[in-house]
Formats: sequence, C-alpha cells, structure tokens
Amino acid sequence: MSLCLGVDIGGTKIAASAVAPDGTILARARRESPAQDADRIERTVADLVEELTAQVSGSGEQVVAVGVACAGFIDRHGESVVFAPNLAWRDEPVKAHLEALTGLPVTVENDANAAAWGEYRFGAGRGVHDLLLVTLGTGVGGGIVTDGHLVRGAHGFGAEVGHLRVVPDGLRCGCGNTGCWEMYASGSALVREARAVVAGGGAHAAYLAGLCGEDPEELDGVMVTEAARAGDPAAVEVLETVGRWTGEGLASLAAVLDPGCVVVGGGVSQAGDLVLRPAREAFARHLTGRGHRPTPPVVVAELGNDAGMVGAADLAARAVGAGPSGR
Amino acid sequence: MSPAPTAPRAEKGDDPSLVVGVDVGGTHVKAGLVTATGDVLGLTRTDTSRSSEGLVDVVVGVVDGLLTAARGRQVVAVGVGAAGLVDHARGVVVLAPHLPWRDEPLRDRLEGRLRLPVVVDNDANAAARAEHRFGAGRGEPDLLLVTLGTGIGGAHLVDGRVQRGRHGLAGEYGHMTVVPDGRACPCGRRGCWEQYASGSVLGRAAEDLVRQGRPGTTMLRELCGGDAARLRGEHVTRAGLAGDPLAADLLAEVGRWLGHGLANLTSALDPGVVVVGGGVVAAGDLLLGPARRALAERLPGTGHRPVPPVRPALLGNTAGLVGAADLAREAGG
Ligand SMILES: [Zn+2]
Ligand SMILES: [Zn+2]
Repeated sequence: MSLCLGVDIGGTKIAASAVAPDGTILARARRESPAQDADRIERTVADLVEELTAQVSGSGEQVVAVGVACAGFIDRHGESVVFAPNLAWRDEPVKAHLEALTGLPVTVENDANAAAWGEYRFGAGRGVHDLLLVTLGTGVGGGIVTDGHLVRGAHGFGAEVGHLRVVPDGLRCGCGNTGCWEMYASGSALVREARAVVAGGGAHAAYLAGLCGEDPEELDGVMVTEAARAGDPAAVEVLETVGRWTGEGLASLAAVLDPGCVVVGGGVSQAGDLVLRPAREAFARHLTGRGHRPTPPVVVAELGNDAGMVGAADLAARAVGAGPSGR
Repeated sequence: MSPAPTAPRAEKGDDPSLVVGVDVGGTHVKAGLVTATGDVLGLTRTDTSRSSEGLVDVVVGVVDGLLTAARGRQVVAVGVGAAGLVDHARGVVVLAPHLPWRDEPLRDRLEGRLRLPVVVDNDANAAARAEHRFGAGRGEPDLLLVTLGTGIGGAHLVDGRVQRGRHGLAGEYGHMTVVPDGRACPCGRRGCWEQYASGSVLGRAAEDLVRQGRPGTTMLRELCGGDAARLRGEHVTRAGLAGDPLAADLLAEVGRWLGHGLANLTSALDPGVVVVGGGVVAAGDLLLGPARRALAERLPGTGHRPVPPVRPALLGNTAGLVGAADLAREAGG
C-alpha cells in the first residue's frame, strides 16, 4: 500500500505520522521543535520522514509523499512559508528544501487549512463539500472548504478569520486593530474574562478563586472548563459569553459562505456543550434568512490535534495522485 | 430598447459561436447574443410578466427573437441569470422575492421548448463570472464582487470558479453583522452591513438631512425636486460628483463602512481583486477612496500582506446576461 506522511510543525514540537488512504494513522513519531533555526527544522522533518519510512517499510508499506503543515502564511503555490509566527521560517522555500532532503514530493499547507481538510475528509465534516472550521485557541484560526476545494486565497492569506471586526471600537487586539473576533471568542478571551471575575472578588468568584489559589494570573482555560463542569455559575457564564461571540461571528461567515457544516476545534472546544450550546443558539439567532434555510450543524472537531497532520498527508496524497479519487 | 450601440469587436480566437444571455430581473428581462469574448449583440429589454407561466413565455419569446436575429450564426446555448435563490445544479429557481417563480424547474422547461442546452444561475453569480472573464477583474481567479443596491449582494470566485455554498445561499454579504445591536434590518436582525453601506442607506441618510433642513442641503433638495422621500443613492452620487461637500461627506461615510466590511470579507477569502458594482459606484473615488483606506487600515498584517485593489465594476447592467451566457458556454454548450 502507498502511504503519505503528515507533519505538523509547531513552535515546541514537531509531530509526524504515517497516514493510510482512509485517514487512519499507522505510525507516529515526534521531536522537539528547533523552532528558531530554519535549517534545523527542515533537517528534523527529514529525520522524522526517515524514521517513519523505516517503521512502515517492515509491513511492506511504501511512503510516496509528505504533507507538511504549520501556522503561518504559505504562498499560494504551496512552495514557500512566507511567514510563520512560531518558527524562524521567513520566505523559506520549504517544499524545495524538503524534497531535496527526503527525495519525496512535498506539499506545504497552513495548519488550519490542513485541519479543515482533515475534518472534511475524515472527521466531523466528512462528505460536506462546503465546510467551515474554526479553531478557538490562543487566537481564532480558520479553514474553509468550498465545493470540495480549500480556500487558500489569492496570496495564501485565505480563512484568516481571527481578526474579523465584530465590534466597532471594541477591545484592542495584538494586531493593532480593535474589536477583532479573537478578542471575544478565543481561549485567551475565556481566560481574560475568568481572571476578571476572580479579580472582582466576592462569592460569585469564590470557586474560580479557589482553583487558582486566589491568584488570577494562575487561572487557565482548563480550570475554567473544570469549574463549569462542576457547576460553578461564574465559569458557566464566562463560557457562555465566549460561545455567544463564537456563534455571532460564525453567523456572519455563514452569510458569506453558506457552509453545510461548521466544525469547531481548538482548546476551547474541549468544553463541549458548555461552549457549543450557547454558540449554536447565537448562530441560529444571527443567521440571516433563518426559517427559510437549514441551519448548518455546529459540531466539535473529531480529529483533535491530529487534524492538521492527517489533512496534510491527504493533501500530499492528492498532489501525487495517490489519494482515493473524490471530489 | 434599441440594440447595443457598440459594434462588435472582431473576436479573438476562432470561436465564432454565440450564446444567448438572459437576465431576469424584477421589472425587465434583458437579453442579448454574447460572443466568446463577451461582446453583446442585439441587446433587448422586455417587460416582465407577473405570472410564472407568463414569465417563462417572455424568456422563450426573447430567446426566439435573438435566435432569428443571429441570422445563421451558430447559437450553442442559453444562459439565464435570475434575481433570486437558484439551485444551479438542478436549474431550478427556488425562491425569488421579485419574480413569480417558486421552485420553478426553469432549465428543464426552457430546454424542452428551446431545444438548446440551458444553464440557470443567480444573477450575482453571473455578474461575478462576467467581471472575472471580461470586466474589472479579468483573469483574476480569486475575485470578490460586491454590489451595492437596495442591499449588498454579490458573489465570489475561488480558483476561477463561482462559489455557491451548500444551499446556493453564499454571497449574502449584506447580512454580516458589523455592529452588535445596531440598526434594524428587514431580515429581522440588527447591525447588518447593508444597513451601513448600501445604496439605499446613502439615499436615506440624504433624505434625513434634507428633512431636518440642514444647511448645505440645497443641491440635494434641488435634485429631488424638494421631495426628500424621492432621494436615492444615485442623487447623492450626482451631487457629490458636482462638487457638493455634504454629498461627498455622505459618500465618504458609506465608503468607510464599505471598507470595513470588505476587510472582513478579505480576511475570509483573500481575493486578488475586489470589484464593487451598483449605481452608486459612479461616485468613483468619492466612495471607493475612503473604502480603500478603511480596508487597508483594517486588514490584519497590513504592510506585510498585499491589499487587494478595489475597482468599480466595468460591465454595468449587462454583467448578468454576459456572465450567464459565459457560464452556459463553459458548461459545454
Ligand atoms: Zn486583531
Ligand atoms: Zn440583515
């Protein structure tokens, strides 16, 4: 059988796997990420490719292509990483370098795009040819599949939805603008709101304050989710607020894209219905033409941290014509 | 209506065949014979019909007339753009607020009567295709067309293909929320973009100023013959172009909102070009200048990323029929 490898290059680790044509992961490997050294990142990827190739060759499998995903801007031809916030790559011809190092065809994709592709092909959006993925983490990332194709954009900047303006003159964002969606609907927003609750003190804040030892700076998203699961009303409310903003932003994107399915991933999505129920309610309420159109389902991502890897591997398979034929 | 004043250019390439393009709007059916290079021959305009059957008859009549006018030149297909929700794959006009059709299997009915392959699409999709092939975004595979009229409509192309979404409802740009709990919209929600940046908003803003008897409204008042309720976006455009400072302010305000919404759309779609259509675009840089500035200011990573050019639409009110014809030609007519 022909396999493709998927590699997810992050700022702290590089994860790689051998992926079967049906999306199943057959072998895994990972390394620390030498994020600040452009050449060493590439050599590390090549090492991982070698390791996995050796692992699967025992069972007669052949690796035919490699798909690489990382956060950042990829040029529209999928040849260079123009800018990667967590890596030393600047206008780095990753495809050419990795092909030289590995001797295999290489595909390069933005991580959220690859994750959207993974969820479209094998995850929560299987078979839905118009799909929107948002990841709620430190910021808000996005990937768009439309009519079975990834939206990379004219310059490789497609589906960068975190800085959509949702509030005129709203909260100041790290990007220099105000009112960006990720100031309201990300994991960072969740923690910021929860810390404000603790800093405000009083009985309302007691549970969260207990979890972080009265120090708001110690509070993180996992604690908020934990508190909400235990029924703490303050934590539930903070998750509801983030969910509501998520749903409102999704409704605007749905007006533009008309997706058949919305997949929510990232750390915040692990709160499940605590965040998704208010998100679905706000989404349905703000969706234009409601009553005259089906409201697309808003579902949690299924592939978790593997989505980018699996998606990148499948995109690599397609690029060499080894993937299962589909749309 | 008289035939198109422009004589056909000699066609590039060697495809001499013609396709009938039809644009079915709320008041008129416009049609013409469209060449492979997007020229329109024998443009006609006919009143619409209020009945579903009648409107099909009108379209058939118009097409028959053009087939006769083609005088032996080969006509290979018919493309129809309709103002409404269209199921493109099945060729059905599902719902059209300004047309009598509901779940009308238009493609099948027209093919049965015309004996030619027919393609049916939404008019905005057709217009975007036309601007992509022959207009302000010629050759640009990732194109965003935003049309400012009563509301804000449009369509986008990704990798050269019009995107329709899961239910054919993509491109409802006017109903993106730009102000939480903002101005009420007929769609039942609040803060929709088209309540801040459409042609009607421009007219309404002017109307308000004239009613309030604001100083500086002399020209606007003259343009509407003293009847503020008659003010439309086009009047403001005309006053602005004639140098009226108040009209220029109104256009700049709408332009800024236009730019803010375009920034959101650009973040999502990263188009190579933004084409803006609709009557008020005649205001040119009075509207598009502030829009471009707001877009550049608002785009994350400005300075590190290309900002798409914002251009006025080139094809005006023939875009729909030209694009519909071209979609039909592409479909293999
Ligand atoms: Zn921002
Ligand atoms: Zn609305």
